[in-house]
Amino acid sequence: MADELIAGSANQEFSELLNLAMPATTESIATITGAISEIMVRLEIPENKRFEIDLAVQEALANAVRHGCNGDPTKTIRCRLNKDPQGRIVITVSDPGPGFKPEALADPHHPDNLYGDHGRGVYLIRQLMDEVQFEHGGTQIRMWKY
Amino acid sequence: MDINVRKRSQAQLIQLRGPLRMGPAVDSLRQTMEEALGNGDTRIVINLAEVPMIDSSGIGLLVRFLASTKQKGGSIKLVQPSKFAVQTLRLVGVLNLFEVYDDDDAAAESFS
Repeated sequence: MADELIAGSANQEFSELLNLAMPATTESIATITGAISEIMVRLEIPENKRFEIDLAVQEALANAVRHGCNGDPTKTIRCRLNKDPQGRIVITVSDPGPGFKPEALADPHHPDNLYGDHGRGVYLIRQLMDEVQFEHGGTQIRMWKY
Repeated sequence: MDINVRKRSQAQLIQLRGPLRMGPAVDSLRQTMEEALGNGDTRIVINLAEVPMIDSSGIGLLVRFLASTKQKGGSIKLVQPSKFAVQTLRLVGVLNLFEVYDDDDAAAESFS
């Protein structure tokens, strides 16, 4: 599935490397992260950067499944991977949910939150990627790796 | 995710193999941990040598059960976390909540 998707989008403009929709299931996350990892290897992205991108995408998709779609597998999440004119990797993940206010998220380093079982995903994305934007009321995340 | 559980000294040793991320991997480890605590095993050693990646769901699970075991007089000790697992745990500020060991025996015997 991943190879077809990559091959199918290879000739599109704006250096689009991947553009696919997935049902809001945890199983689908691995399909997309696997496809992106393959592309990263082909682009000869260093291992460290590949890991950071892989984890950031994992977190963005997990948030979209869990919060954007409430785990409803009939809902659809879209993920795009592009290379911009400066050669930077740009990944967008969008979901059909109500969005959220990223500035309202709690600090996972706060002592009250250290043993919490959630609330680290967006923080991790911001640490792993070079630039992160939330768009359309928080229903889309765009993240860059230089 | 492969999960292997065995008794080592006074601890339950949980050997993981594969990425620890939201979905079947985290669900399986949660079930394993709940069973251990249900059996009264609160001294847990988790070997992460073959876990190339931990996401926020996996981290949440580890710290939640770390708190649970500590409340019951036990703990969770980590063995050989991979380079990227260490990096991720450090990024979110929870690495120093755990004792980290180079091998299973040292971790298990630390409960003595």
